[in-house]
Amino acid sequence: MPTSLPPHRVDYSPIVERPPIRWPGGARVALWISPNVEHYEYLPTFDGQRDPWPRMPYPDVREYSYCDYGNRVGFWRMLKSLDRHKIRCTASLNLAVLEHYPEVREAMMERDWEFMSHGVYNTRYLSSMSEEDERAFYRQCKDLLRRHTGKELKGMLGPAISGTDRTPDLMAEAGLIYHADWMHDDQPVPIRVKSGRLMSVPYSVETNDGVIFRSYGDGSQFTRICRDQFDRLYEEGAVSGRVMCIAIHPFLTGQPHRIRHLDSALDYIMSHDGVWQATAGEIAEYYIANCYDAAAAHAAGING
Amino acid sequence: MALEPRYGPRYGMDHRHYDWSAIPTRPRLEWPGGARVALCVIVNLEHLEWRPPEGSFHPAYLYDRPLPDYRNHSHREYGHRVGVFRVLDALEKAGVPATVAMDAFTARNYPYLVGHCLGRGCEIIGHGVSLSRVISSRMSEEEERECVRESVEAIARATGSATRGWLGPEYGESHRTPGLLAEAGIRYVCDWANDEQPYPMNTPQGRLCALPVMLDLDDAFAMKERGFPVNEYAEMLKDGFDGVYADAAESGRLLTLNLHPWLTGQPFRIRYLEEALAHIMASPGVWAATGSEIIDWYNKSLLSEGEGG
Repeated sequence: MPTSLPPHRVDYSPIVERPPIRWPGGARVALWISPNVEHYEYLPTFDGQRDPWPRMPYPDVREYSYCDYGNRVGFWRMLKSLDRHKIRCTASLNLAVLEHYPEVREAMMERDWEFMSHGVYNTRYLSSMSEEDERAFYRQCKDLLRRHTGKELKGMLGPAISGTDRTPDLMAEAGLIYHADWMHDDQPVPIRVKSGRLMSVPYSVETNDGVIFRSYGDGSQFTRICRDQFDRLYEEGAVSGRVMCIAIHPFLTGQPHRIRHLDSALDYIMSHDGVWQATAGEIAEYYIANCYDAAAAHAAGING
Repeated sequence: MALEPRYGPRYGMDHRHYDWSAIPTRPRLEWPGGARVALCVIVNLEHLEWRPPEGSFHPAYLYDRPLPDYRNHSHREYGHRVGVFRVLDALEKAGVPATVAMDAFTARNYPYLVGHCLGRGCEIIGHGVSLSRVISSRMSEEEERECVRESVEAIARATGSATRGWLGPEYGESHRTPGLLAEAGIRYVCDWANDEQPYPMNTPQGRLCALPVMLDLDDAFAMKERGFPVNEYAEMLKDGFDGVYADAAESGRLLTLNLHPWLTGQPFRIRYLEEALAHIMASPGVWAATGSEIIDWYNKSLLSEGEGG
């Protein structure tokens, strides 16, 4: 068994040494766009670890309604832009949305989006769950998705990117194949689990509207970052395929002053040849079929 | 109003680690070949532990969510897997040697990276045990001595030679640190952000110099703590260099940049580092060197002035 540091899930593998990845059609960049379609509860339960509305006693109507704007208004504006660029999205989905907002569900179904679990509500975190609760959580996520869409769940971005030490094992046990919580790479990476197979398809906390708009910039920064990110990955992708994720939130990017910046980022990226606009599940399935074994063996050689 | 008696003699510093010295009052500092600015770039290779060890000190922002925190832990790991290669390539392209501050976790668990850095001619300096074990006055003297020893030993084992430089994780020091570093054979320390020239520290345990870092130009300080976008950070780098360069007409100055591959090594950020380095290296009279090269030159020039030390 090769050595690795806690949590002993990933063998070290420097990107400059790996067997090259060849994406379908010789694409340089596998691009997945992930709208976070979410519901934050009006009166959540504080789990004692992470306060969903830390600004004031519940409810926090300012924050709650700011998020709710996403489903009422922002989502629909964002759809127009995504449709114009023929993007097939991977919704990072709080599965309760399927039940609360059937119109949103139908719009996503019509476009054949992939549904990645982002938990049930964005105000209920995995970090405080027992093993049994977490196991039940995956059953609930799969059931909700199957019941409302007829689809099978393939992957997860933990609710508000929360998790436990057991998360990868329990995900694999539940039949999921990818975990998006790992920000460690520009390529998918095998994740060691007790049984079955799991891999990371890296999401992004950099090319992410939530991080950008809440910290250091607004629409023009978003466009600049997306373009610069794409340019570098596209250049490097000539040698070995790269993954680029753009993470957006309807309540942020769907604002009237920001939507043109999503448009201009997508205009720029989608005007290039050699972009495989895929879903996270497609990237994961392709990687498992074509790259996983070679990558795992190579990492074992580096560390063994 | 009377000053506190514990400050002792009232002229100068309120501690004994180094002497007060205003930059215009110093003898002229000559760099090799008559260079105006010595440029040192430190690249941090540091490991954030999955869980902080019990009793360790670390700034709260390193663990600001319930654990385990896949998001933050793996974001840092990005530097080791991907980012460091972009940063080292950018430095090599600009003709700037890297001084790699490597913690013990990295030195012991990433032999590939150790070999890679040595193969590129980087100097490797001590950087504590891990990012999760920041040195502070909460440590006992023995704990701190052990931390320094563990770090120095890990690098000696991994690289086959003794480390001469030091940057504490998060610039962490206790009130004892300079003495303990000198005792461990360290010759220069980069924790202090207070000058544009090296200066000697008062360590009876051995000769130690400060190689001060320009904190405002530290990428994590600018972009993570202060929240500046990378294009504005690149402007800061260029302006910062221009300012140091202008004042270096009178006497040689130092610009030490501290970079974090998990941050600046991101695909959308690296171009701005490349542009700033190109700007800096386009000026005549920039001596890009490792920490040891700069400190060796500095010590030699002090000796020739009879300052001794």
